[in-house]
Amino acid sequence: MTRAGLHKPGDTFSIRRGPITTTQLVMYAGASGDFNRIHYDHPFAVEKGLGGVIAHGMLTMAFAASCVLEAFGPASRISNIEARFTSPVRVGDVVEVTAIVVERAAADDLIEATLTAEVDGRVVLRGVVEVASAAGPMS
Amino acid sequence: MSDRADIDRSLIGSSAAPFAVEVEKGAIRRFAEAIGDTAAIYFDEAFARSLGYQGIVAPPTFPTTFRPPSKPAWILRLDEGRFLAGEQGYRYQRPIYAGDRLQCELRFTDVQDKRSSKGSMELIIQDLIVTSPSGDVVCVNRRVVIYRGLSTNLAREASS
Repeated sequence: MTRAGLHKPGDTFSIRRGPITTTQLVMYAGASGDFNRIHYDHPFAVEKGLGGVIAHGMLTMAFAASCVLEAFGPASRISNIEARFTSPVRVGDVVEVTAIVVERAAADDLIEATLTAEVDGRVVLRGVVEVASAAGPMS
Repeated sequence: MSDRADIDRSLIGSSAAPFAVEVEKGAIRRFAEAIGDTAAIYFDEAFARSLGYQGIVAPPTFPTTFRPPSKPAWILRLDEGRFLAGEQGYRYQRPIYAGDRLQCELRFTDVQDKRSSKGSMELIIQDLIVTSPSGDVVCVNRRVVIYRGLSTNLAREASS
């Protein structure tokens, strides 16, 4: 893991979350209001052809957002974050999220970074984020 | 065409009834705990204000909790076991804070057909528009849900 304070293109920061537990999926279901049974009801998830419960994609995206705020500091403001979910995350998985700076616009201190989440080298999320590294124009 | 679990594309362009949300600090705390994020800006108002925020901050993906009181018409008849997370986006004009009272409108924007090695699927594209009481857009949350075809099977990807 590199230290926070990313500035120039190529600078990289990673965090790890997990292993994912069923308890966490139930907590996330309650906190988010997403009670789709594929996330905590094993027989239902098997019946639906998923081979067992899968984590909420939005839980993985929350990890990605946590990575951004850790990378750029708690005063940084995300103006846009987008992600695509490429593969399911399951109970027991450890998710590693990596942010890589691709561009920094000097004028408004806006940084663009790519986001990748992986489980054992398998990509489960790809995304991008635009973040103002310090309290900027947004209030 | 009349399968009850088919997407009704005639509803594309429609919106669910607008609904109001009040952002509670307890809800933010439980959300932060669920995602395993201990950042003080989600728990400690004085600390958040010291960084220039106007109060306890909601995590960036928190608007996923903004749900209509009942399932929108275009989701109601679908088989939830065939849903998968597709894509999500959050575009912010300002952070969301504990105590915010916000108006939400969920729009059914489009459906796209997709075919992959795992079978056919449809992408249900929705946009949640979050506005302040003065009518300013605070956040737009694009929600893309995958609706798997019946033949799609992901069990082979199950980890041991």
